[in-house]
Amino acid sequence: MYVYDPPYNKMRSAEFLDCHVLVIGSGGAGVRAAIEASCYGETILLSKTIAGKGGCTTMAEGGYNAVLREEDSCEDHFEDTMKGGAYLNDPALVRILVDESPERIRDLLKWGAVFDVTDRCEVAQRPFGGQCFPRTCYAGDRTGHEMMATLMDRMASSGTEVIQEVSVIHLFKDENTVTGALGIDRNGELLAIRSDSTILATGGGTRIYDISTNSSSGTGDGYALGFRAGADLIDMEQVQFHPTGAVFPYDARGRLVTEAVRGEGGILKNSLNERFMSRYDPERMELSTRDVVSRSIATEILEGRGTGHGGVYLDVTHLPRSQIESRLPVMLEQFLKFGVDIRDEPMEVAPTAHHIMGGLRISTDGQTTIPCLYACGEVAGGVHGANRLGGNALADTQVFGKRAGEAAGRSRKRVKKIHRKEIEAQEKRLAGFHEGSVLPTTIARSLQTAMWEGAGIFRTARELEKTLEVIKHLSSLPLKATGNSNLAECCTVQNMLRTASLVVRGALLRKESRGAHVRKDVTQTWDAKSSPYGHTWQNLKDSGVETGVKA
Amino acid sequence: MKEMSVRVFRFDPSEDKAPHYQTYHVQVNEGARVLHLLHAIHEEHDPTLSYRYCCGSGQCGSCAVRVNGEPVLACMEEARDGITIEPLELPVQKDLMVDLEPYLASISSLAPREEFVMPPQDVVDTIKPLRSCIECLACVSACPALKVIAFAGPTAMREDLRLALDPRDTEDRVTEAVKAGLFTCTSCQACWKVCPKDIQIPGKAIEKLRALANKKGLTLPRHQEVEKLVKETGRSVVRTETSFLEQVPEVIEPVGPVKATVGFFVGCMYNLRLPKTALDAMEVLKRNGIRVIIPKEQVCCGSPLIRTGQVDYLDTLKRRNIDAFVFRKIDTVLTMCAGCGSTLKNDYTTPFRVMDINELLTKFGIEPPARLSLKATYHDPCHLLRGQGIRDLPRELITQVVDLVEMPSICCGSGGGVRSGIPEEAAALAEKRRDEIEKTGADIVISSCPFCEFHIMEHTDRPVKNITTLLLEGYREKDRKKMEKPV
Repeated sequence: MYVYDPPYNKMRSAEFLDCHVLVIGSGGAGVRAAIEASCYGETILLSKTIAGKGGCTTMAEGGYNAVLREEDSCEDHFEDTMKGGAYLNDPALVRILVDESPERIRDLLKWGAVFDVTDRCEVAQRPFGGQCFPRTCYAGDRTGHEMMATLMDRMASSGTEVIQEVSVIHLFKDENTVTGALGIDRNGELLAIRSDSTILATGGGTRIYDISTNSSSGTGDGYALGFRAGADLIDMEQVQFHPTGAVFPYDARGRLVTEAVRGEGGILKNSLNERFMSRYDPERMELSTRDVVSRSIATEILEGRGTGHGGVYLDVTHLPRSQIESRLPVMLEQFLKFGVDIRDEPMEVAPTAHHIMGGLRISTDGQTTIPCLYACGEVAGGVHGANRLGGNALADTQVFGKRAGEAAGRSRKRVKKIHRKEIEAQEKRLAGFHEGSVLPTTIARSLQTAMWEGAGIFRTARELEKTLEVIKHLSSLPLKATGNSNLAECCTVQNMLRTASLVVRGALLRKESRGAHVRKDVTQTWDAKSSPYGHTWQNLKDSGVETGVKA
Repeated sequence: MKEMSVRVFRFDPSEDKAPHYQTYHVQVNEGARVLHLLHAIHEEHDPTLSYRYCCGSGQCGSCAVRVNGEPVLACMEEARDGITIEPLELPVQKDLMVDLEPYLASISSLAPREEFVMPPQDVVDTIKPLRSCIECLACVSACPALKVIAFAGPTAMREDLRLALDPRDTEDRVTEAVKAGLFTCTSCQACWKVCPKDIQIPGKAIEKLRALANKKGLTLPRHQEVEKLVKETGRSVVRTETSFLEQVPEVIEPVGPVKATVGFFVGCMYNLRLPKTALDAMEVLKRNGIRVIIPKEQVCCGSPLIRTGQVDYLDTLKRRNIDAFVFRKIDTVLTMCAGCGSTLKNDYTTPFRVMDINELLTKFGIEPPARLSLKATYHDPCHLLRGQGIRDLPRELITQVVDLVEMPSICCGSGGGVRSGIPEEAAALAEKRRDEIEKTGADIVISSCPFCEFHIMEHTDRPVKNITTLLLEGYREKDRKKMEKPV
């Protein structure tokens, strides 16, 4: 380990850790990738948190979509996913997702995952939004936690070296190839790792919003790292606002209220006690896609039919108490902690920033547009198009985690160079934080408010431009580290600023309403299927929107 | 917004010689959690404060800390004015951050078979509650056993049972658990009570593992002797003196009007080791209008067998005990042994109500005793405090006689078969009790459980007395004063 040594800001030693595959991120996708990669060579997994505890997989409640029954078909899963994604998805990636998701859940079951089963000893499935068949597998409402526990178990015997609580702040490059990464631990010590292949599995970034379901690690690190390394990102404007986030207490606002609540039969009502979804999607009602339900709830609130805490009601009191207790135990427990017994009274909910559908452009093997750099899970784009179906993210982590791990593992061993000047540049960057004057938390707060107000569910070019100006201003402020333990925090806030800027620029590039992205200032004559636009894309040099490319 | 004052443990091993506490006055929102309080300190007062958190919704187990000594998840526990926040009782890295990794790494992993087997629904139903563990290590922090002896700890045992039940695992987890200290658990249930996911580790994991160990012939020899004794004599301890049951009539009528009639379940310890204490209790009941019926055919409640995983003979004991009271049409059974009480309440399905003597006496009220000029401390029996949720009632009774000085509620080491099975551990835990007793400066130690009383007696020079004995002494003092001042 290298010791970061202010005031000189030099690494004490010239040694590096070496490995074949470096995985950055310890959520579902990262751990799955490491398990696979470790079959091919020495694998290191860098985790910003204690591995297994960070990321959003462990918080994922509802489920995992997989076609397991004769009555269901991969074709239907494909069509549901494409339709739900407003046909912005990359069809090749969706095909792989639906075809391989059943195999990947079997891996988990073999490794010990305890999913709920039917009395016929089959994995139980429940209905989720936007799907023509109940294909969401679950472990109560702690599905992601169950998966994470299983994956951690498996990784423990895979030979992967896990390095805990190190934040990656830079990807090394030799000419156009990624050759490793520089990390910083919570004491401010630097750690450099040289790798044949590097996998970004850093998850999402909706912490850039004031109201978000994400864990503290959802700060968009991978988007920023990938972008700075020169990779292409697509569809960054596509941010999913989950329809049901908690609204009280204030500090816990945004906390996810799982879609499983509606899957189990939960009903949405406004303050007039109207089941308002009948106005927006009478056919699918509460189980419409997330973009539709979020907009419906937001509209009810904006038009003055919200509750005291600024939400709408989500009610399960008509369900049998035993069903709530066995299928939604985490929800029951969380709301009880906040003084609401969901068996007897309705929850209050409002939309909350949840998932970024966009991300690094990948091939079917998770290869980004930069050699030797892979991406999988939420940090990658293209799988979910303009709106992700509930239950598809957990499947995504496993399918593309495995693929990226395997492809990176199979990649050739090579001579990897790390240039001294890159390290020096990073040391200088960190040293600058000791001279700064604005605390990272101050900047993060301002950013989150600006993003929620100017780049939320409903968007206009004017508001987006204004938000971009705020981001530019915040990015120009000199970040201040109070001590070595705050250096990582400063880097993280820079990642948030970069991610926010990618989201806003993407939103300006896409001059249409599509899926989760709604431009109120654009009138359009087409629907999703006949849209003239494909992906928006951005990289260090250029940006644009694809036209005339049809799925 | 509201202002709160909070005391926080601070320690930076790279700079500080010793930990210290710092008090902050912070503004937080209505309904804020402890985590938000920490955020407020970090953002508004002191960016150097280190603490760990991640999901903020009770699902990842990163943020466990101790609030006023009790392990909680910072993200779920409501912030209150005047609290003290400390790290878990694990090696401190900095401030509220502790080193979780060595423990996490020690939890067993499933070793899968080549061919895939799907666990059947009943196995899934048993395993599921064990899987809700978020590995926050609150239980490890609270466990008294692993502070004095090599023990893998509560949550590792939980996972061992899960693996033992899971048909997909290929290893012998029961033997592994025995080697990892399965028999060191005292059944104190501290782990369960601090578990944010309410996993009943002693009852649902450790006792189940001990039952599986029993099937493999791995029960400790001393525990096997106890089972033999119960089978032969109906009692878990040897008769060395005249028993309580031999000294009392079947019905004890109270002095004065009858407030209530109860059946009395004496338990092996008060019957055979501390009969004098049980006789004291009878005197107190007599004086307070309680009519007591004492079926002589009652036997051991089975607790020593349940706690050690020897459950074959249990149904016989249960039937004999239940029949003894049902036959006499008794609707309320009184226990004064915390262990028996907890067992009858939690391990039996009884057609009658079970009440601990502290509940009974406070329910019907007692004649005020005289005050004794003594300072006492109270040892909470695990099977009363956590097994039956009785905390305040004994204190209400004690403070009617003497001044009470509190000490932390920690297991004395006598439960779970540890006193007989691993006496050195039981002694080490009792020595820690001795230290706490010393710190209080109390003249006497009061408790409400024969196991605790008998065990602590060997580890303190202060007299150890049952609550009812204390009350009786209060009455005797009252009578003596009355004699001195004839009306």
